[in-house]
Amino acid sequence: MEEGAAEGVTQEEEFEPLILAICCNWCSYTGADLAGTSRLQYPHNIRIIRVMCSGMVHPNLVIDALSKGADGVLMCGCHPGDCHYLEGNLKAEKRADALFLMLEDLGIEPERYRLEWVSASEGQRFAELMKDFTDTIKSLGPSPYKMY
Amino acid sequence: MAETEFEPKIVGFLCNWCSYAGADLAGVSRFQYPPNIRIIRVMCSGRIDPYIVLEAFTQGVDGVFIGGCHPGDCHYLEGNYQAERKIKMTRQLVKKAGLEPERLRMEWVAASEGERFAILMREFPKQIQELGPSPLSGEKPDEKLMANINAAKLAALDFRLRAIVSKERKIVEQGNVYNETKSQEEWDEFMEDAIEAEFERKRLLGLITEKPMSVKELASEIDLPTDRILDHVVFLRKRNQLALDSIEGFTPKYISIVPEVKA
Amino acid sequence: MSNDKVGAVLVVGGGISGMQSSLDLADAGFKVYLIDKLPSIGGVMSQLDKTFPTNDCAMCIMAPKLVGTGRHHNIEVISNTEIESIEGEAGNFNVNLVRRPRRINEEKCTGCGVCGAKCPVEAIDEYNWGLTRRGATFIRYPQSVPLKFMIDKEKCIGCGICQEECKAEAVEYDQEEQKFDLNVGSIVLSPGYSMFDPSLKTEYGYGRYKNVVSSMEFERFLSATGPFAGTVMRPSDGDIPEKVAFLQCVGSRDSQAGSEYCSSVCCMFAMKEAIIAQEHSEGLKSHIFFMDLRAFGKEFDDYYTRAQEEHKIKFTRCRVAEVREVPETNNLIIKYVEDGEVKEEEFNMVVLSTGFRPPENVKEFAETLGIDLNKYDFCSTGVFSPLETSREGVYVSGVFNGPKDIPDTVAQASGAAAKASSIISSERGKMITPKEYPPERDVLGEDPRIGVFICHCGINIGGVVNVPDVVEYAKTLPNVEHAEHNLYTCSEDTQKGIKEKIVEHNLNRVIVASCTPRTHEPLFRSTTKEGGLNPYLFEMANIRDQCSWVHMHDADNATKKAKDLVRMAVAKSRLLEPLYKLELNVFQSGLVIGGGLSGMTAALEMAKQGFEVHLVEREKELGGNLRNIYHVLSEKGEDPQKMLKEIIEKVKNDDKIKLHLETTVKSIEGFMGSFTTELSDDTKIEHGVVIVATGGQEYKPTEYLYREDSRVLTQMDLEGKLAKDEIKPNSVVMIQCVGSRIEERPYCSRICCADAIKNALKIKEKNPDAQIIVLYKDIRSYGFREDYYREAADKGVRFIRYDDENKPEVTKEGDDLVVSINDPILGEHIKIKPEYVVLSAATLPQPDNEELAKMLKIPLSKDKFFLEAHMKLRPVDFATEGVFLCGLAHSPKFIDESISQACGAVSRACTILSDEIMELEPTISEIIDENCDGCAYCIDPCPFNALTLIEYMRNGNVKKTVERNEAACKGCGVCMATCPKRGVMVKGFTLDQISAMIGAALEVV
Repeated sequence: MEEGAAEGVTQEEEFEPLILAICCNWCSYTGADLAGTSRLQYPHNIRIIRVMCSGMVHPNLVIDALSKGADGVLMCGCHPGDCHYLEGNLKAEKRADALFLMLEDLGIEPERYRLEWVSASEGQRFAELMKDFTDTIKSLGPSPYKMY
Repeated sequence: MAETEFEPKIVGFLCNWCSYAGADLAGVSRFQYPPNIRIIRVMCSGRIDPYIVLEAFTQGVDGVFIGGCHPGDCHYLEGNYQAERKIKMTRQLVKKAGLEPERLRMEWVAASEGERFAILMREFPKQIQELGPSPLSGEKPDEKLMANINAAKLAALDFRLRAIVSKERKIVEQGNVYNETKSQEEWDEFMEDAIEAEFERKRLLGLITEKPMSVKELASEIDLPTDRILDHVVFLRKRNQLALDSIEGFTPKYISIVPEVKA
Repeated sequence: MSNDKVGAVLVVGGGISGMQSSLDLADAGFKVYLIDKLPSIGGVMSQLDKTFPTNDCAMCIMAPKLVGTGRHHNIEVISNTEIESIEGEAGNFNVNLVRRPRRINEEKCTGCGVCGAKCPVEAIDEYNWGLTRRGATFIRYPQSVPLKFMIDKEKCIGCGICQEECKAEAVEYDQEEQKFDLNVGSIVLSPGYSMFDPSLKTEYGYGRYKNVVSSMEFERFLSATGPFAGTVMRPSDGDIPEKVAFLQCVGSRDSQAGSEYCSSVCCMFAMKEAIIAQEHSEGLKSHIFFMDLRAFGKEFDDYYTRAQEEHKIKFTRCRVAEVREVPETNNLIIKYVEDGEVKEEEFNMVVLSTGFRPPENVKEFAETLGIDLNKYDFCSTGVFSPLETSREGVYVSGVFNGPKDIPDTVAQASGAAAKASSIISSERGKMITPKEYPPERDVLGEDPRIGVFICHCGINIGGVVNVPDVVEYAKTLPNVEHAEHNLYTCSEDTQKGIKEKIVEHNLNRVIVASCTPRTHEPLFRSTTKEGGLNPYLFEMANIRDQCSWVHMHDADNATKKAKDLVRMAVAKSRLLEPLYKLELNVFQSGLVIGGGLSGMTAALEMAKQGFEVHLVEREKELGGNLRNIYHVLSEKGEDPQKMLKEIIEKVKNDDKIKLHLETTVKSIEGFMGSFTTELSDDTKIEHGVVIVATGGQEYKPTEYLYREDSRVLTQMDLEGKLAKDEIKPNSVVMIQCVGSRIEERPYCSRICCADAIKNALKIKEKNPDAQIIVLYKDIRSYGFREDYYREAADKGVRFIRYDDENKPEVTKEGDDLVVSINDPILGEHIKIKPEYVVLSAATLPQPDNEELAKMLKIPLSKDKFFLEAHMKLRPVDFATEGVFLCGLAHSPKFIDESISQACGAVSRACTILSDEIMELEPTISEIIDENCDGCAYCIDPCPFNALTLIEYMRNGNVKKTVERNEAACKGCGVCMATCPKRGVMVKGFTLDQISAMIGAALEVV
C-alpha cells in the first residue's frame, strides 16, 4: 500500500516535504542563526520551533507532529556536556530511544525522526544537517499520515 | 597562406556626440581608412560596460576601439572620465587573462576631428596586424585563454570591481567621503590587487563548476602558488561561493556553488 | 566622607574576566561602565573553539554571558575606548577617557551586515589572526556585542558604498574622537594579554615556513567559524596534515626570550588542540614535545591520561632544538634529543605553543593608572592581596594579574568585583535608575487581539521575502487585528509606532517577525511593556536568520515559509498569558562553613559588603592549614603567621561576623535566599547564602617509611621544623607526588612542587652547602613560581626525574636512610644517604565532604572534592543556587588562589544578598494540581532538585501532588516532557503552546 502511495507521488510534481526542526535555545537555535548570519543556504522545507531545552520536548509532541502529517521531525540539542541545564539533552536522547519504539507501532519509518547535536558555532553543520535530513525525507516520500 | 595578409576584425564603440560625429565627418570629408572596423554607436563612452568589451573578445574580435569626447566635452558631463577608468580596468583584466592589452584602445575624438579619426583608423589595424590574429578567433580558439577571458568577464560583472572603478575619479581627484584624496599610485596598487584577486577567484570557480578539485590541482591549473589558491578558497567559502565536496585521503576537494554558472 | 563615594565601577577590558566582574557588580546593585579598546567585547575566549578539560564549545558557554552583559540595565558597554588619565582616590575617581570613532551610529545600526558584505576593501581579519579577510566596514565576529558595525578608517578608501547601502542611515563618516569623563568609586582592570611573537624564536621558522603556526592560529583552524570551517589544513596547500607536532614553551620558561615565567595554560591548551584536531580530522596524529607537563588544575591529569590512552597522543619530553623545512613538500623536520640520542622526525605541520605576554603598551597603561608592574610587566600583586594593585581602589583580575586559565580568571574576576564593591558598599543601589513603565492593562478574559509587525530589515528580509504579501496574509489570520510592515522594526520610530498601535487597536498580543529572539526579544518585550501590556504577551517569528538569509535564491518558497512562521507565531501568541516576575524574600546574611583562610576571607569580605555573616569552624582555633605555613614564595616576603594573626584579629573584631567555634552544621533546610541552618550547639540561623570553605588536609603517607622513621617528614612537617629552627639539614632528598598522581588518587595536588622548591630554598638560606635532591615526575612551578625553580637549580638543588616504572625506594641500612633511584640522564642507578627524606604529600579532600554534600544537595567530583556548577565559567557556584564554593574544598590551591576564590564566592553571593527581594524569571515550571496525581516520575529527572512530592488534604482525602521550588527551578522543562499527565508546564513554552505551533506548521494552506 505504501509503495503505491509513493508511486502516486513520483508521477506528480516533485515532493516537497514539510519538516519540523525543534531547536534548543542555547546551542542549536543559535547555530541555526549562525547559519543565517553566514548566509549558508539550505532547503526551505524546514520550520524551526524554538524551545528552551531539547529535554523539555514531550514525546507526545513528536508523535503528534508525525501522526498529523509532518514528513519529518528533527530534534536539535546541545552536544553532551554543553547543555545549559546540565543534562536535558541526555534526557532527550533517552526519549528518542522510546520514541523509535512508538514510531514502529504507528508504522512510521524511524528515519522520519532524528536527534542531532548542534553547537552555537556549528552554523555550517546546521545547514548541512538540514540538507541531509531533507534529502532523507524526500527519498522516503510523504508521511503515511499526510492529509490532503 | 602566410602571404595572405591578415585582416583584423575590429569593433569600435563610438559615443554619439563626439566620436561618432567625428567618424561621420571623416566620411563627409572623404578621408580614407581601411575597412577593418565595425562601428557601434552608443550614446556615451561611459555606457560601455567592461563586460561588453570582454564579450567582444570572446567572440573572436582582434581589437576593440573606443572613442569618446575629449575631457570636458562630454555631453553627459563626465561619462568619458568614467569610461577612461573603466577601460583602464578592462585593459588590466585583458592583460591578466593573457591577451595583449594593446588590442583594446581608447581615444578621444571630437566631432570636428574627422581627419584624426581616419588617422587612428589607419594606425590601429596596423598595430593589430603586428600582434597577429586573436588566439580566440578562428575555428579553434585557445581554450585556456577563453576560460581566462570568461573569468575576466565574470570579474567585470562582479559588484566589487564595478563599485570601486566607479568611485576611482572621486577618490583620486575630487576627494572621498573624508574629503581626502588618494594618490594615483596608491589607488593603482589597490586596484591592481582587487583585479588580480577577483580574476583569480572567477578563474578558480570556473574550474570547479562540474568536477571538484583540490588546492594543489587548482594551483597547477591556474599556475599560482598553492597558498594563494588556499587564500581564495577560504575567501570564497566564507562568501558561500564554493563548498567542500569531499576529502580524498588527506586532500580536501572543492566544488563551486555559485548559482549562476555563466553570465 | 561616605557622601563622596560613588556607587559605580569602571571595568577596563571586556574579555571573560571583565564580563564576569561587570555582571557580578551589576547584579549586586552597582552601576558598571565596561570599556574595551576594541569595537566589541568578548576578548580572547570568543576566539577559542573548545575549552579544556571538558571540551565545551567556547562560544556556547560564553554567549549567555556575552548577551547578558550587553543587555544588562546596569551595565553600559563603551567600546573603542581607553583611559587617558585618572584623578581622585578610592571611592571617588574621575576618569578621563577617549573614544575612537566607530563612524557608524550605534543607535541606528541594526547589525544587519549589508555594509560589510558590500565593502570593496579586503583587510586582514584580526579575529582570525589574519587567516581570513574582512571589509573595512566590519564586525569582529558574528555574535559581537554590541552588534554594531565599525569602519576601520586605516583601511577604508572612503568610497561611500556602505553609506549608499545602509538603509538605516547609520553611516557617519565625520564622527570624531570623543573625550569624556566618568565618575566612579572603584576600578577593575582586566585588560588581558598579548601573545609572544614566535618569529623571534628564529630556530622554529615561524614566518618563514608556512606550515609552522601559533597555537592561537591553530585554534581558529579548529573552529567551525574559522578559516577552514573546522577541518585542520596546512596553510601552504590546504592538505590535511597527517602528523602534527606541538612545541611547548615557545616564549615561556625562556630567558633568551625574556620571559622566564611559565605561561601556565599551554600544556593543557596543546593537549586540547591535539585532541580536537584528531576528532575533527580522521587520521591526523598529534605529537607533543614538552619540558614538564603541567596539568596542575582540577581534573587536568585525567585529561592528560585520556590524551595518552584514549587519543594515543605521543608525548616526548625535550625542548626541540630546531625546525627545518623540506622545500619540496613544505613538511617540517624536527630535531630533538630523546634518551640522550639526537633524533629527527618529519611532520606535516608544527604548532608553536606561544606564551602569554603582558598587554600591549602596558607601561603607558600602568603609568596612566598609577599602578606598579612586576619584573615581567604584569600587574604587581601580593600573596595575601592577589586582587589589589598598588593603587587603592584599583583592582585587577585575569591574565594581567599573571598567566592563568579561564576558571581561575573567572573566579578572580568575581573576586575583584567583590573588592571593588566593598569599598563603596554604602552606595549599593544608588546609581541604579529603574525604568518607569505605564501601568499594565488587564487583558484577562479578552479575546486575543493580535498586532503583527513585519520587518524588511532594510533589504535583508525584504530583498528576498515579499513582505507586503506576508502582511496581507497575516491580516487574514484569526485574531489578527492589525498587521504592518516596517523598514526596521527595531528602529526608534517603529518602536514608538508599535506602542501607538497597541493603544489604537486595543491590542493584547504583539508579534514581531524579523530577526532572532536571542538578540531582540528583550527589546520588543520592553516595547510591549511600554505600550501598557504584560511583556510576556509578545512573540517573535524569525524570518531573517532562519528564512531570508538561508533561502536567498528562492524568493517564493522563502515568502511561503515566512507566512508559515508568522502563522505559527500567531497560533502560539493566542495562548500566551501574562507572566509576572517571581519575587523571593531574601535573608540578607550568609553562612560560611570553615574557618581557614578561605572561610575567614569570605566572612570578612561579606561583612565589608555590609552583610551579617555566620562563620562556623569545627576546631577551637581559626586558621586551618595556614597555621602550618611559615613562609611563602614572594618578592614581597610576606610573613604568613603575621598575616594569619591579623586576619584572625579582624574576624574576631568584626561585629558583623558571628563566630561559631567548635561547632559543626547539623542540618540545612531551604533554598536560595532563605536557608535555615541548625548548628551542633542547636543554634538556628537564617541566612540567604552558603559558602562552603571546608578546606582540605595533607595526606599522611603510608609509604617511604613515614611514621616509621622520624627523619622522614612531609613538606608541612619540614616547614614547621625549619621555621622553629628545630633542624638545620645538611642533606635532604625530597620525593614529589607522594599520594598524588597515582592510580587511586590520579589528581595533581598543585602546590607541592612549589612547596618543595620553597623549602629547598629555605634550607639553602640556612645552610648554603646543604645537598638537596628533588625527585619529581614533572616540576609544575607554573606562572611566576618558575623563577624560584630556576633559583633553586642555580643554587645547586638537583632535580632528578622518576616515573611510575622507576619509583624511588626508601630503605634503611643500619641507621642510615637510603634512597635509591634511576637517574634517567646519567642512565645509572644511584643510592643516596640523606639526613632527611621529605615527602611532598598529596592534598586530600575532607573525609566528611560527602555528609555536607548531601545536606546541601551539591555534588562531589570523582576525587571527592566539591564539584562546581561549571568547570569553566562557574568555578565558585554550585548548580544549587545560593550555595558557593572556595578554597581547598574546591581543589588544592595556593594562598593567593584561595583568597581570590573566597572573594569570588562573596561576589557571587552578593548578587543574591544585594536586595531584600530577588526577582526571578517567570518562565519556569508550574504544577497543574488537578492533573498531577503525584506519580513522582518528574522528581528524579530534575537536574536542579527543584521538585518534591507532597501530600495535603483535599475534600477530606489525601491528595498527592508535586511542589516546585521556584528558587531552584530554571525552566528547562525536563519535568514537562517526563510527566505522562500534563501535570507540569513551563510557562511560555507549555505543551499547548508548542502543540499549537506544530499544528499551525502542519496546516494545509
